[in-house]
Amino acid sequence: MTVTRTASVAGIGLLPNGTYSIPERELAIDVIHEALEDAAVSMADVDGLYMPSPRPWTKQKFFSTNLLHLLGLEVDRTIEVSTGGTSGGKAFQTAVSDVRSGAVDTALVFAVERNSVIETTGPYFDYILSTFDANFESPIGMSIPGVYAQSMQRYCHEYDVKREDLAEIVVKNRDNAAADPDTLFDKPVDREAVLGSRPIADPIRLYECPAPCDGGAALVVTSDDGDGSDTSSETEGTVEVAGLGSHHAASHLLMTRDESITELPAVRKAAREASRDGGRARDEIDVYEPYAPFPHIEAIITEELGLVDRGAGLEACLDGRTAADGEFPISPSGGCLGRGHPPMVTPLYNYVEAVRQLRGTASTQVLDANYVLTTSEHGHVNGATATVFAKGE
Amino acid sequence: MCETSYTERFWEALSDGRFLIHTCNDCEERFFPPAPVCPSCHSWSVDWIESNGTGELYSFTRQHATADGFPDEIVAGVVELDEGPRLLTAIDEAYADLVLGDRVRVEPREYPHNYDRGCRSEYPFFAATTIDGDE
Repeated sequence: MTVTRTASVAGIGLLPNGTYSIPERELAIDVIHEALEDAAVSMADVDGLYMPSPRPWTKQKFFSTNLLHLLGLEVDRTIEVSTGGTSGGKAFQTAVSDVRSGAVDTALVFAVERNSVIETTGPYFDYILSTFDANFESPIGMSIPGVYAQSMQRYCHEYDVKREDLAEIVVKNRDNAAADPDTLFDKPVDREAVLGSRPIADPIRLYECPAPCDGGAALVVTSDDGDGSDTSSETEGTVEVAGLGSHHAASHLLMTRDESITELPAVRKAAREASRDGGRARDEIDVYEPYAPFPHIEAIITEELGLVDRGAGLEACLDGRTAADGEFPISPSGGCLGRGHPPMVTPLYNYVEAVRQLRGTASTQVLDANYVLTTSEHGHVNGATATVFAKGE
Repeated sequence: MCETSYTERFWEALSDGRFLIHTCNDCEERFFPPAPVCPSCHSWSVDWIESNGTGELYSFTRQHATADGFPDEIVAGVVELDEGPRLLTAIDEAYADLVLGDRVRVEPREYPHNYDRGCRSEYPFFAATTIDGDE
Protein backbone atom coordinates (compact mmCIF):
# COMPACT_ATOMS: atom_id res chain seq x y z
CA MET A 1 0.00 0.00 0.00
CA THR A 2 1.37 3.43 -0.93
CA VAL A 3 0.85 5.88 1.88
CA THR A 4 0.38 9.31 0.45
CA ARG A 5 -1.21 11.14 3.35
CA THR A 6 -1.22 10.98 7.13
CA ALA A 7 -4.54 10.04 8.74
CA SER A 8 -5.58 11.58 12.04
CA VAL A 9 -8.44 11.24 14.48
CA ALA A 10 -10.02 14.67 14.57
CA GLY A 11 -12.93 13.88 16.85
CA ILE A 12 -14.40 11.26 19.16
CA GLY A 13 -17.83 10.45 20.54
CA LEU A 14 -18.83 7.88 23.15
CA LEU A 15 -22.01 6.58 24.73
CA PRO A 16 -21.36 5.38 28.27
CA ASN A 17 -21.62 1.61 28.68
CA GLY A 18 -24.95 0.63 30.21
CA THR A 19 -28.50 -0.15 29.11
CA TYR A 20 -30.36 1.83 26.45
CA SER A 21 -34.03 1.54 25.56
CA ILE A 22 -33.86 3.42 22.24
CA PRO A 23 -33.13 1.77 18.87
CA GLU A 24 -29.55 1.36 17.64
CA ARG A 25 -29.95 3.86 14.83
CA GLU A 26 -30.86 6.59 17.32
CA LEU A 27 -27.82 5.68 19.39
CA ALA A 28 -25.80 5.94 16.18
CA ILE A 29 -27.08 9.43 15.39
CA ASP A 30 -26.30 10.61 18.95
CA VAL A 31 -22.75 9.32 18.99
CA ILE A 32 -22.02 10.50 15.43
CA HIS A 33 -23.28 14.00 16.38
CA GLU A 34 -20.90 14.05 19.33
CA ALA A 35 -17.88 12.98 17.24
CA LEU A 36 -18.59 15.53 14.49
CA GLU A 37 -18.92 18.33 17.05
CA ASP A 38 -15.69 17.25 18.74
CA ALA A 39 -13.93 17.32 15.35
CA ALA A 40 -15.57 20.63 14.36
CA VAL A 41 -16.49 18.93 11.09
CA SER A 42 -19.84 19.37 9.40
CA MET A 43 -21.98 16.42 8.35
CA ALA A 44 -21.70 17.52 4.72
CA ASP A 45 -17.92 16.98 4.81
CA VAL A 46 -18.26 13.25 5.54
CA ASP A 47 -17.50 11.20 2.42
CA GLY A 48 -16.97 7.74 3.94
CA LEU A 49 -18.98 5.68 6.46
CA TYR A 50 -17.44 2.64 8.20
CA MET A 51 -19.02 0.36 10.77
CA PRO A 52 -19.17 -3.18 12.16
CA SER A 53 -22.24 -5.06 10.94
CA PRO A 54 -24.96 -4.84 13.57
CA ARG A 55 -25.40 -7.96 15.68
CA PRO A 56 -27.85 -10.50 14.21
CA TRP A 57 -30.57 -9.51 16.70
CA THR A 58 -30.52 -5.84 15.67
CA LYS A 59 -33.89 -5.16 14.06
CA GLN A 60 -32.61 -2.68 11.49
CA LYS A 61 -30.84 -4.47 8.62
CA PHE A 62 -29.22 -2.50 5.77
CA PHE A 63 -28.11 -0.32 8.67
CA SER A 64 -25.65 1.95 6.87
CA THR A 65 -28.00 2.48 3.94
CA ASN A 66 -30.83 3.40 6.27
CA LEU A 67 -28.54 5.75 8.20
CA LEU A 68 -27.20 7.51 5.10
CA HIS A 69 -30.77 8.29 4.08
CA LEU A 70 -31.66 9.59 7.55
CA LEU A 71 -28.53 11.75 7.67
CA GLY A 72 -28.90 12.99 4.09
CA LEU A 73 -25.36 11.85 3.33
CA GLU A 74 -23.85 11.00 -0.03
CA VAL A 75 -20.55 9.17 0.41
CA ASP A 76 -17.88 7.56 -1.80
CA ARG A 77 -17.18 4.62 0.51
CA THR A 78 -19.31 2.56 2.92
CA ILE A 79 -18.52 -0.70 4.64
CA GLU A 80 -20.14 -2.96 7.22
CA VAL A 81 -17.67 -5.50 8.60
CA SER A 82 -18.73 -8.84 10.07
CA THR A 83 -15.76 -10.62 11.64
CA GLY A 84 -16.82 -10.74 15.30
CA GLY A 85 -14.67 -8.75 17.69
CA THR A 86 -12.31 -7.44 15.00
CA SER A 87 -15.19 -5.87 13.03
CA GLY A 88 -14.74 -2.44 14.62
CA GLY A 89 -10.97 -2.69 14.18
CA LYS A 90 -11.23 -3.53 10.50
CA ALA A 91 -13.85 -0.82 9.88
CA PHE A 92 -11.51 1.73 11.46
CA GLN A 93 -8.42 0.48 9.62
CA THR A 94 -10.28 0.55 6.30
CA ALA A 95 -11.26 4.16 7.00
CA VAL A 96 -7.65 5.05 7.79
CA SER A 97 -6.42 3.34 4.60
CA ASP A 98 -9.00 5.21 2.52
CA VAL A 99 -7.98 8.55 4.05
CA ARG A 100 -4.29 7.73 3.51
CA SER A 101 -4.88 6.84 -0.13
CA GLY A 102 -7.07 9.85 -0.81
CA ALA A 103 -10.16 7.79 -1.59
CA VAL A 104 -11.98 9.84 1.06
CA ASP A 105 -11.15 13.01 2.98
CA THR A 106 -13.42 12.73 6.01
CA ALA A 107 -14.20 9.23 7.25
CA LEU A 108 -16.80 8.56 9.91
CA VAL A 109 -16.34 5.33 11.86
CA PHE A 110 -18.91 4.24 14.41
CA ALA A 111 -20.29 1.23 16.26
CA VAL A 112 -23.45 0.81 18.32
CA GLU A 113 -24.69 -2.31 20.03
CA ARG A 114 -27.42 -3.40 22.41
CA ASN A 115 -27.05 -6.68 24.27
CA SER A 116 -29.75 -5.87 26.83
CA VAL A 117 -32.45 -6.83 24.33
CA ILE A 118 -31.48 -10.49 24.01
CA GLU A 119 -31.75 -13.53 26.27
CA THR A 120 -28.29 -14.97 26.79
CA THR A 121 -29.48 -18.59 26.88
CA GLY A 122 -31.72 -18.27 23.81
CA PRO A 123 -31.00 -16.57 20.46
CA TYR A 124 -27.70 -15.13 21.71
CA PHE A 125 -26.37 -18.61 22.50
CA ASP A 126 -27.65 -19.89 19.14
CA TYR A 127 -25.55 -17.21 17.47
CA ILE A 128 -22.50 -18.16 19.54
CA LEU A 129 -22.94 -21.86 18.70
CA SER A 130 -23.09 -20.97 15.01
CA THR A 131 -19.62 -19.43 15.18
CA PHE A 132 -18.11 -22.88 15.86
CA ASP A 133 -17.62 -25.48 13.08
CA ALA A 134 -21.28 -26.07 12.21
CA ASN A 135 -20.73 -29.75 11.35
CA PHE A 136 -18.37 -30.94 14.05
CA GLU A 137 -18.47 -28.46 16.94
CA SER A 138 -21.72 -26.47 17.22
CA PRO A 139 -23.68 -29.51 18.51
CA ILE A 140 -21.33 -29.73 21.54
CA GLY A 141 -22.90 -26.59 23.02
CA MET A 142 -19.70 -24.72 23.89
CA SER A 143 -19.73 -21.07 24.99
CA ILE A 144 -17.03 -18.43 24.50
CA PRO A 145 -16.03 -18.57 28.20
CA GLY A 146 -15.89 -22.38 27.73
CA VAL A 147 -13.30 -21.82 25.01
CA TYR A 148 -11.17 -19.38 27.01
CA ALA A 149 -11.45 -21.56 30.12
CA GLN A 150 -9.37 -24.16 28.31
CA SER A 151 -6.57 -21.75 27.39
CA MET A 152 -6.58 -20.52 31.00
CA GLN A 153 -6.21 -24.13 32.15
CA ARG A 154 -3.37 -24.75 29.67
CA TYR A 155 -1.66 -21.45 30.58
CA CYS A 156 -1.57 -22.36 34.28
CA HIS A 157 -0.43 -25.89 33.39
CA GLU A 158 2.30 -25.02 30.89
CA TYR A 159 3.86 -22.13 32.83
CA ASP A 160 3.15 -23.20 36.41
CA VAL A 161 1.08 -20.07 36.90
CA LYS A 162 -0.98 -19.86 40.08
CA ARG A 163 -4.57 -19.75 38.88
CA GLU A 164 -5.74 -17.55 41.77
CA ASP A 165 -3.18 -14.86 40.88
CA LEU A 166 -4.94 -14.27 37.53
CA ALA A 167 -7.67 -12.52 39.53
CA GLU A 168 -5.21 -9.65 40.07
CA ILE A 169 -5.49 -8.65 36.40
CA VAL A 170 -9.25 -8.22 36.89
CA VAL A 171 -8.61 -6.27 40.11
CA LYS A 172 -6.22 -3.92 38.26
CA ASN A 173 -8.60 -3.37 35.34
CA ARG A 174 -11.68 -2.81 37.49
CA ASP A 175 -9.64 -0.37 39.57
CA ASN A 176 -8.52 1.49 36.42
CA ALA A 177 -12.12 1.82 35.22
CA ALA A 178 -13.79 2.63 38.54
CA ALA A 179 -13.39 6.43 38.36
CA ASP A 180 -14.56 6.67 34.73
CA PRO A 181 -18.30 7.49 34.57
CA ASP A 182 -18.46 6.08 31.02
CA THR A 183 -17.78 2.51 32.19
CA LEU A 184 -20.26 -0.10 33.43
CA PHE A 185 -18.83 -0.45 36.93
CA ASP A 186 -18.19 2.33 39.42
CA LYS A 187 -16.69 0.15 42.11
CA PRO A 188 -13.41 -1.78 42.16
CA VAL A 189 -13.33 -5.44 43.21
CA ASP A 190 -10.81 -7.32 45.32
CA ARG A 191 -9.18 -10.68 44.71
CA GLU A 192 -11.58 -12.50 47.04
CA ALA A 193 -14.63 -11.10 45.22
CA VAL A 194 -13.24 -12.21 41.84
CA LEU A 195 -12.42 -15.72 43.05
CA GLY A 196 -15.71 -15.94 44.96
CA SER A 197 -17.90 -14.96 42.00
CA ARG A 198 -19.89 -17.79 40.50
CA PRO A 199 -18.20 -20.25 38.14
CA ILE A 200 -19.05 -19.79 34.45
CA ALA A 201 -16.76 -22.33 32.79
CA ASP A 202 -14.18 -23.87 35.11
CA PRO A 203 -11.76 -22.40 35.96
CA ILE A 204 -13.21 -19.03 34.78
CA ARG A 205 -15.38 -17.06 37.23
CA LEU A 206 -18.03 -14.44 36.47
CA TYR A 207 -15.85 -11.40 37.24
CA GLU A 208 -13.20 -12.79 34.90
CA CYS A 209 -15.67 -12.55 31.98
CA PRO A 210 -16.29 -9.26 30.17
CA ALA A 211 -19.81 -8.09 31.09
CA PRO A 212 -22.08 -7.74 28.04
CA CYS A 213 -23.81 -4.33 27.87
CA ASP A 214 -25.04 -1.64 25.47
CA GLY A 215 -22.87 1.14 24.15
CA GLY A 216 -21.57 3.10 21.19
CA ALA A 217 -18.59 5.08 19.94
CA ALA A 218 -17.63 7.13 16.88
CA LEU A 219 -14.44 8.63 15.47
CA VAL A 220 -13.83 11.12 12.68
CA VAL A 221 -10.70 10.35 10.63
CA THR A 222 -9.23 13.05 8.38
CA SER A 223 -5.99 13.85 6.58
CA ASP A 224 -3.65 16.49 7.96
CA ASP A 225 -0.63 16.43 5.66
CA GLY A 226 -0.53 20.14 4.97
CA ASP A 227 -0.04 19.39 1.27
CA GLY A 228 -2.99 21.38 0.12
CA SER A 229 -5.37 18.51 0.79
CA ASP A 230 -5.61 19.30 4.47
CA THR A 231 -9.10 18.54 5.68
CA SER A 232 -8.47 18.36 9.40
CA SER A 233 -9.86 20.90 11.81
CA GLU A 234 -6.39 21.77 13.14
CA THR A 235 -7.70 21.35 16.65
CA GLU A 236 -5.33 20.71 19.50
CA GLY A 237 -6.97 17.35 19.96
CA THR A 238 -5.76 15.89 16.67
CA VAL A 239 -4.13 12.50 17.08
CA GLU A 240 -2.22 10.76 14.29
CA VAL A 241 -3.02 7.17 13.33
CA ALA A 242 0.60 6.18 12.90
CA GLY A 243 0.55 2.43 12.26
CA LEU A 244 -1.80 -0.33 11.11
CA GLY A 245 -1.33 -4.09 11.45
CA SER A 246 -3.55 -7.12 10.98
CA HIS A 247 -3.15 -10.88 10.92
CA HIS A 248 -5.21 -14.08 10.96
CA ALA A 249 -3.74 -17.43 11.98
CA ALA A 250 -4.84 -20.68 10.25
CA SER A 251 -6.95 -21.51 13.31
CA HIS A 252 -10.61 -21.46 14.32
CA LEU A 253 -11.47 -20.92 18.00
CA LEU A 254 -9.54 -23.68 19.86
CA MET A 255 -8.61 -25.53 16.67
CA THR A 256 -4.92 -24.85 16.21
CA ARG A 257 -2.61 -27.48 14.70
CA ASP A 258 0.87 -27.60 16.13
CA GLU A 259 1.09 -24.57 18.39
CA SER A 260 -0.25 -24.34 21.91
CA ILE A 261 -3.55 -22.53 22.52
CA THR A 262 -1.55 -20.39 24.98
CA GLU A 263 0.13 -18.67 22.03
CA LEU A 264 -1.63 -15.92 20.12
CA PRO A 265 0.32 -15.47 16.87
CA ALA A 266 -2.33 -13.21 15.29
CA VAL A 267 -1.88 -10.46 17.86
CA ARG A 268 1.91 -10.88 17.83
CA LYS A 269 2.13 -10.46 14.06
CA ALA A 270 -0.47 -7.68 13.88
CA ALA A 271 1.39 -5.69 16.56
CA ARG A 272 4.73 -6.15 14.78
CA GLU A 273 3.25 -4.88 11.54
CA ALA A 274 1.60 -1.90 13.25
CA SER A 275 4.89 -1.00 14.98
CA ARG A 276 6.76 -1.21 11.67
CA ASP A 277 4.09 0.78 9.84
CA GLY A 278 4.17 3.41 12.57
CA GLY A 279 7.96 3.50 12.69
CA ARG A 280 7.83 2.94 16.44
CA ALA A 281 9.81 0.24 18.22
CA ARG A 282 8.25 -1.57 21.14
CA ASP A 283 10.13 0.51 23.72
CA GLU A 284 8.73 3.70 22.22
CA ILE A 285 5.11 2.76 23.00
CA ASP A 286 3.90 4.39 26.23
CA VAL A 287 0.43 2.83 26.67
CA TYR A 288 -1.26 -0.42 25.58
CA GLU A 289 -5.01 -0.83 25.20
CA PRO A 290 -5.50 -4.45 24.11
CA TYR A 291 -8.78 -6.22 23.43
CA ALA A 292 -8.28 -8.81 26.19
CA PRO A 293 -11.58 -10.40 27.21
CA PHE A 294 -10.19 -12.69 29.94
CA PRO A 295 -7.35 -12.10 32.42
CA HIS A 296 -4.95 -14.75 31.09
CA ILE A 297 -5.40 -13.29 27.60
CA GLU A 298 -4.07 -9.93 28.83
CA ALA A 299 -1.11 -11.82 30.35
CA ILE A 300 -0.44 -13.67 27.09
CA ILE A 301 -0.81 -10.49 25.00
CA THR A 302 1.80 -8.87 27.28
CA GLU A 303 4.08 -11.71 26.19
CA GLU A 304 3.12 -11.58 22.51
CA LEU A 305 3.88 -7.84 22.42
CA GLY A 306 7.43 -8.74 23.39
CA LEU A 307 7.25 -6.90 26.72
CA VAL A 308 8.13 -9.99 28.79
CA ASP A 309 9.18 -13.60 28.22
CA ARG A 310 6.60 -16.29 27.54
CA GLY A 311 4.85 -17.29 30.78
CA ALA A 312 5.83 -14.05 32.55
CA GLY A 313 2.80 -11.92 31.62
CA LEU A 314 0.97 -12.42 34.89
CA GLU A 315 4.07 -11.72 36.95
CA ALA A 316 4.40 -8.37 35.14
CA CYS A 317 0.95 -7.44 36.47
CA LEU A 318 1.68 -8.73 39.98
CA ASP A 319 4.88 -6.64 40.02
CA GLY A 320 2.97 -3.48 39.05
CA ARG A 321 4.75 -3.17 35.71
CA THR A 322 1.40 -3.06 33.82
CA ALA A 323 -0.23 -0.51 36.19
CA ALA A 324 -1.03 2.99 34.88
CA ASP A 325 2.13 4.28 36.60
CA GLY A 326 4.12 1.14 35.74
CA GLU A 327 6.85 0.43 33.22
CA PHE A 328 4.42 -0.47 30.39
CA PRO A 329 0.81 0.44 31.31
CA ILE A 330 -1.75 -2.05 30.00
CA SER A 331 -5.50 -1.30 29.91
CA PRO A 332 -5.49 1.97 31.87
CA SER A 333 -9.11 2.34 30.67
CA GLY A 334 -9.90 -0.97 32.36
CA GLY A 335 -10.24 -2.76 29.02
CA CYS A 336 -13.36 -4.78 28.37
CA LEU A 337 -13.05 -6.48 31.78
CA GLY A 338 -13.19 -3.14 33.58
CA ARG A 339 -15.41 -1.13 31.24
CA GLY A 340 -18.04 -3.69 30.19
CA HIS A 341 -18.13 -5.20 26.74
CA PRO A 342 -20.26 -4.56 23.68
CA PRO A 343 -17.89 -6.52 21.38
CA MET A 344 -18.65 -4.48 18.25
CA VAL A 345 -17.86 -1.28 20.14
CA THR A 346 -14.88 -2.43 22.23
CA PRO A 347 -12.25 -1.80 19.50
CA LEU A 348 -13.58 1.74 19.10
CA TYR A 349 -13.53 2.28 22.87
CA ASN A 350 -9.85 1.34 22.72
CA TYR A 351 -9.31 4.00 20.02
CA VAL A 352 -11.26 6.60 22.01
CA GLU A 353 -9.08 5.77 25.03
CA ALA A 354 -5.94 6.13 22.89
CA VAL A 355 -7.09 9.60 21.81
CA ARG A 356 -7.92 10.57 25.39
CA GLN A 357 -4.49 9.39 26.62
CA LEU A 358 -2.76 11.43 23.91
CA ARG A 359 -4.92 14.48 24.59
CA GLY A 360 -4.21 14.11 28.30
CA THR A 361 -7.91 13.71 29.15
CA ALA A 362 -8.10 10.02 30.12
CA SER A 363 -9.82 9.07 33.37
CA THR A 364 -6.78 7.05 34.43
CA GLN A 365 -4.13 9.14 32.70
CA VAL A 366 -0.65 7.82 31.92
CA LEU A 367 1.93 10.60 32.33
CA ASP A 368 3.73 11.78 29.18
CA ALA A 369 1.83 9.47 26.85
CA ASN A 370 3.04 10.03 23.27
CA TYR A 371 2.34 6.66 21.63
CA VAL A 372 -0.48 4.18 22.27
CA LEU A 373 -0.92 0.69 20.77
CA THR A 374 -4.39 -0.89 20.70
CA THR A 375 -5.59 -4.29 19.50
CA SER A 376 -8.82 -6.03 18.56
CA GLU A 377 -9.43 -9.77 18.20
CA HIS A 378 -12.07 -12.34 17.35
CA GLY A 379 -12.69 -16.00 18.09
CA HIS A 380 -9.96 -17.21 20.41
CA VAL A 381 -7.67 -14.41 19.16
CA ASN A 382 -7.53 -16.28 15.83
CA GLY A 383 -7.62 -12.93 14.03
CA ALA A 384 -6.35 -9.61 15.33
CA THR A 385 -5.72 -6.00 14.41
CA ALA A 386 -3.21 -3.63 15.98
CA THR A 387 -3.13 0.15 15.64
CA VAL A 388 -0.54 2.68 16.81
CA PHE A 389 -1.63 6.22 17.68
CA ALA A 390 0.75 9.17 18.08
CA LYS A 391 0.35 12.56 19.67
CA GLY A 392 -0.16 15.23 16.99
CA GLU A 393 2.71 17.65 16.32
CA MET B 1 -33.68 -33.43 1.20
CA CYS B 2 -29.95 -32.76 1.64
CA GLU B 3 -27.48 -33.32 -1.15
CA THR B 4 -24.47 -35.47 -0.30
CA SER B 5 -21.80 -33.37 1.36
CA TYR B 6 -18.09 -34.10 1.57
CA THR B 7 -18.33 -35.06 5.25
CA GLU B 8 -21.17 -37.56 4.69
CA ARG B 9 -18.67 -40.41 4.74
CA PHE B 10 -17.51 -39.42 8.22
CA TRP B 11 -21.04 -39.57 9.63
CA GLU B 12 -21.83 -42.85 7.84
CA ALA B 13 -18.67 -44.41 9.30
CA LEU B 14 -19.37 -43.00 12.75
CA SER B 15 -22.78 -44.73 12.62
CA ASP B 16 -20.83 -47.97 12.18
CA GLY B 17 -18.58 -47.19 15.13
CA ARG B 18 -15.57 -46.07 13.07
CA PHE B 19 -13.87 -42.66 13.48
CA LEU B 20 -12.47 -41.34 10.20
CA ILE B 21 -9.90 -38.60 9.74
CA HIS B 22 -7.88 -37.43 6.75
CA THR B 23 -4.32 -37.99 5.58
CA CYS B 24 -2.38 -36.08 2.92
CA ASN B 25 -0.79 -38.25 0.23
CA ASP B 26 1.94 -35.67 -0.36
CA CYS B 27 3.11 -34.50 3.07
CA GLU B 28 1.50 -37.21 5.24
CA GLU B 29 -0.22 -34.64 7.46
CA ARG B 30 -3.13 -36.20 9.37
CA PHE B 31 -5.95 -33.74 9.86
CA PHE B 32 -9.48 -33.19 11.11
CA PRO B 33 -12.13 -32.06 10.24
CA PRO B 34 -12.06 -33.78 6.85
CA ALA B 35 -11.77 -31.44 3.86
CA PRO B 36 -10.62 -31.93 0.26
CA VAL B 37 -7.39 -29.91 0.70
CA CYS B 38 -4.44 -30.48 3.03
CA PRO B 39 -4.18 -27.56 5.50
CA SER B 40 -0.42 -28.14 5.80
CA CYS B 41 0.88 -28.30 2.18
CA HIS B 42 -2.36 -27.45 0.30
CA SER B 43 -2.23 -30.63 -1.77
CA TRP B 44 -5.59 -31.80 -3.12
CA SER B 45 -4.45 -35.42 -2.95
CA VAL B 46 -5.99 -36.48 0.36
CA ASP B 47 -7.59 -39.68 1.64
CA TRP B 48 -9.83 -40.93 4.40
CA ILE B 49 -8.15 -43.08 7.04
CA GLU B 50 -9.52 -44.74 10.13
CA SER B 51 -8.40 -43.56 13.55
CA ASN B 52 -8.99 -45.78 16.54
CA GLY B 53 -10.28 -42.61 18.23
CA THR B 54 -7.77 -42.75 21.06
CA GLY B 55 -5.66 -39.88 22.26
CA GLU B 56 -4.83 -37.59 25.17
CA LEU B 57 -6.93 -34.98 26.89
CA TYR B 58 -5.32 -31.68 25.90
CA SER B 59 -7.71 -29.33 27.74
CA PHE B 60 -11.18 -29.46 29.27
CA THR B 61 -13.81 -27.42 31.08
CA ARG B 62 -17.13 -27.74 32.85
CA GLN B 63 -19.51 -25.15 31.49
CA HIS B 64 -22.12 -23.82 33.94
CA ALA B 65 -23.99 -21.62 31.46
CA THR B 66 -25.49 -23.51 28.51
CA ALA B 67 -27.89 -22.91 25.65
CA ASP B 68 -31.58 -23.82 25.70
CA GLY B 69 -32.04 -27.53 25.07
CA PHE B 70 -28.67 -28.54 26.57
CA PRO B 71 -28.01 -29.94 30.06
CA ASP B 72 -27.38 -27.33 32.78
CA GLU B 73 -23.74 -28.37 32.85
CA ILE B 74 -21.56 -29.54 29.97
CA VAL B 75 -18.14 -31.18 30.23
CA ALA B 76 -16.15 -30.77 27.01
CA GLY B 77 -12.59 -30.42 25.91
CA VAL B 78 -9.93 -30.81 23.26
CA VAL B 79 -8.53 -34.26 22.52
CA GLU B 80 -5.24 -34.77 20.70
CA LEU B 81 -5.67 -37.98 18.73
CA ASP B 82 -2.72 -40.40 18.58
CA GLU B 83 -2.50 -39.65 14.85
CA GLY B 84 -1.94 -35.95 15.61
CA PRO B 85 -5.09 -33.93 14.94
CA ARG B 86 -6.89 -32.15 17.78
CA LEU B 87 -10.65 -31.96 18.01
CA LEU B 88 -13.20 -30.41 20.30
CA THR B 89 -15.51 -33.00 21.85
CA ALA B 90 -18.07 -33.57 24.54
CA ILE B 91 -16.68 -35.67 27.41
CA ASP B 92 -18.85 -38.31 29.10
CA GLU B 93 -17.08 -38.12 32.45
CA ALA B 94 -17.40 -36.18 35.69
CA TYR B 95 -15.31 -33.01 35.58
CA ALA B 96 -13.71 -33.74 38.95
CA ASP B 97 -12.41 -37.09 37.68
CA LEU B 98 -10.49 -35.61 34.74
CA VAL B 99 -6.79 -34.73 34.58
CA LEU B 100 -4.84 -33.19 31.71
CA GLY B 101 -3.15 -35.94 29.70
CA ASP B 102 -5.78 -38.57 30.50
CA ARG B 103 -6.04 -41.29 27.89
CA VAL B 104 -9.42 -41.02 26.14
CA ARG B 105 -11.34 -42.57 23.28
CA VAL B 106 -13.73 -40.63 21.04
CA GLU B 107 -16.76 -42.75 20.16
CA PRO B 108 -20.23 -42.38 18.63
CA ARG B 109 -23.00 -41.20 20.97
CA GLU B 110 -26.71 -40.75 20.60
CA TYR B 111 -27.38 -37.02 20.28
CA PRO B 112 -30.24 -36.10 22.64
CA HIS B 113 -29.94 -32.29 22.70
CA ASN B 114 -32.46 -30.03 21.12
CA TYR B 115 -29.92 -28.29 18.90
CA ASP B 116 -30.50 -28.17 15.15
CA ARG B 117 -28.15 -30.50 13.28
CA GLY B 118 -30.12 -30.13 10.08
CA CYS B 119 -29.71 -33.17 7.83
CA ARG B 120 -27.53 -34.89 10.47
CA SER B 121 -30.40 -35.38 12.89
CA GLU B 122 -30.58 -39.12 12.16
CA TYR B 123 -26.88 -39.66 12.88
CA PRO B 124 -25.07 -40.11 16.19
CA PHE B 125 -22.61 -37.45 17.33
CA PHE B 126 -19.44 -38.29 19.28
CA ALA B 127 -18.07 -37.98 22.80
CA ALA B 128 -14.89 -38.93 24.66
CA THR B 129 -14.52 -41.25 27.63
CA THR B 130 -11.41 -42.05 29.63
CA ILE B 131 -9.68 -45.38 29.01
CA ASP B 132 -6.82 -47.31 30.62
CA GLY B 133 -3.38 -45.85 30.02
CA ASP B 134 -2.32 -48.96 28.10
CA GLU B 135 -4.96 -48.59 25.41
